[in-house]
Amino acid sequence: MTETTDRVPPSTTMSPGTNMLEAAHLSRSFGTRTAVDDVSFHVAPGETYGLLGPNGAGKTTTIRLVCGLLSADGGEVTVSGMPVRASTTTAKAQIGYVPQDVSLYPDLTARENLSFFGRLYRLSGSALRERVDEVLDLIDLTDRRDDRVESFSGGMRRRLNIGASLLHRPSLLVLDEPTVGVDPQSRHAILESIQTLGSAGLAVLYTTHYMEEAERLCDRIGIIDHGRLIAEGTSRELVSQVGEKDRITLSASGSLAAFAEACRSLEGIDRADLKDSSVQLLARDGRLRLPQVLEAATRTGTSVRSVEVDEPDLEAVFLHLTGTALRE
Amino acid sequence: MNAVLAIAAKDLRQRLRDRSAIVLGFIAPVAVAALISVAFGSAGSFHADMAVVDLDGGPVAAGFTTFVKGPDLTNLLTVKSVTSEEDARAKVANGDLNAAFVIPKGFSEAVTSGQNLPITVLASVDSSIAEQVARSLAESFTAQIEAVQLSVQSAVRAGAPHASAGKLAAEASAVKLPEQTVTQPAGTQALTGTSYYAPAMGIFFMFFAIGFGARGYFLERTGGTLDRLAVAPIGPGTILAGKSLAIFVYAMASLGTVAVVTSLAFDAHWGPPLVVLVLILALALTMVGLTALVITVARTERQADGFASLLTFGLVLLGGNFVFIGGAPPLIRTLALLTPNGWALRAFTDLAGGAAWTAAVVPLMAILAFALSTGAVAYSLRRRVVR
Repeated sequence: MTETTDRVPPSTTMSPGTNMLEAAHLSRSFGTRTAVDDVSFHVAPGETYGLLGPNGAGKTTTIRLVCGLLSADGGEVTVSGMPVRASTTTAKAQIGYVPQDVSLYPDLTARENLSFFGRLYRLSGSALRERVDEVLDLIDLTDRRDDRVESFSGGMRRRLNIGASLLHRPSLLVLDEPTVGVDPQSRHAILESIQTLGSAGLAVLYTTHYMEEAERLCDRIGIIDHGRLIAEGTSRELVSQVGEKDRITLSASGSLAAFAEACRSLEGIDRADLKDSSVQLLARDGRLRLPQVLEAATRTGTSVRSVEVDEPDLEAVFLHLTGTALRE
Repeated sequence: MNAVLAIAAKDLRQRLRDRSAIVLGFIAPVAVAALISVAFGSAGSFHADMAVVDLDGGPVAAGFTTFVKGPDLTNLLTVKSVTSEEDARAKVANGDLNAAFVIPKGFSEAVTSGQNLPITVLASVDSSIAEQVARSLAESFTAQIEAVQLSVQSAVRAGAPHASAGKLAAEASAVKLPEQTVTQPAGTQALTGTSYYAPAMGIFFMFFAIGFGARGYFLERTGGTLDRLAVAPIGPGTILAGKSLAIFVYAMASLGTVAVVTSLAFDAHWGPPLVVLVLILALALTMVGLTALVITVARTERQADGFASLLTFGLVLLGGNFVFIGGAPPLIRTLALLTPNGWALRAFTDLAGGAAWTAAVVPLMAILAFALSTGAVAYSLRRRVVR
């Protein structure tokens, strides 16, 4: 369990001047409670970085520190090499912030909301009008542009919430759990649009407690728990970091004992067990071992009816690192 | 500057879409001023219906009747005839008469023999001004009688023959008592009820800008939009300036509208327009400072509502917006000057009475001092924009 408290050292790939966002040794406490404890990470242009952790892990506090909404007790945040503080404006102009809750004016129309936020980013006149129309088109709300937000559905509000952060063409998009409470269809649409923005070169910092979202969207993931960044890397790297193996289950008939024995001698297969009418294997890079396994089945006269490969996921990684499930 | 204007314009747009803000800021003060105008519309030309019940029938009683029916009082009252004291009581009770005088039997004889027999004034509790007027008339007449009695007695004691007492009394009664008091306004014209209550009600409703402003701030905070503003490339000071500008414009428009409408439609006198404008601007500035104070003290929207209401009603009660402060005890009049609205009312009443613009200088300084001291709190509020 000591692994759960180990901190990940600042990323070795951090290279000042090239990263869009760099957070170094961020700390923040509220009274005696430490919300964020020496957290460091970076996000490169075009990269989507996910902060994955359960509720109360410190994700939102980290986001607020990154956006200058909170002052850090220690550490520093830079965007494009410029420090972010409450009073700085140059660095903040590059950030597009999507709050966890829908943060819009319900008594204003979609267009009025977007125009207002655009003006805060020094857009005006025809440039503002054109950009508002572009964003309305992007979030598919052109036909509802003159309706008040209070008449919108939850999904439409979520889309407008994201749209309001894109008006000024930010270099860094910061999203704080943007799919919480969203129906599956809207969630899919939101995730797709974030993927599109990421592939268009935007640096994206994304917090979530949904493992599937992190795996689908993020190039790299930082796992955060109790205010500490306890692991960081690609999804595969995280899995391999904790030494979890793939599980291959073969439903078969014939000489299952001989088949299991043959599998044990194969490279990359660490364990083979008989279980009812199936054989279960523990393997490293399980999918790569399948041809050899099927050849062993043929060799031992075993007829394979089905094959299932279970790769360890982030849920397993989180469980391994913290001793608790991600959704607990 | 663009961001300040954007925030102010957005806040004002939201305010204008809020019906309660329109009603409290513009419709209610004008409506209340109109009601007060109707209520006080005839105050400048007071007139009452009265009657004299002469149970005496003597010459002095006849003299009193002649006195109240005299040309000096025709603009003030109409003397109607009644058949008896009971008739007079009934008419006063049902409102046909505002007051009645009952001259008791033996009144003339008592006067000529140097005794006092009082005239009774019957008045309705609903006609307190008429009662005071009637009482004054009766006291004035009896004072004249007492003066005549004193003159005759002095002459007799000085050696005049008793037989000449009647002649002396007739001569003395021809001499009127000297006027003892003369009322003159401080300025060049009298203050009407409309001219007092139009600014008083306008300022009262202007105070609602505090509640709207503070509530708006907490709504932005709980709704997350304040975070969006704080992430934008604008400083906390810009957010504060934008929000302050919205409160300032709303408060100014509210009181300005009341001033214009009551001046044009209800003949309220506010004073020279430029001086009035400066006073309105200073008061609007005070609303900004008070709003900041509420936001600083409150922690939630509900608390902000409570504090704003407390502040509003505390200040308007103390400042004299509900009651004519000139008629209040000295302590209350002094306490009124602890409030910006108290100073403002003093300035507006002086100006409405025709005083020179310089009468507004000290009140203006006091209002600005209030605005500045609460503005100092607003300065510390900057830090609360980013928590």
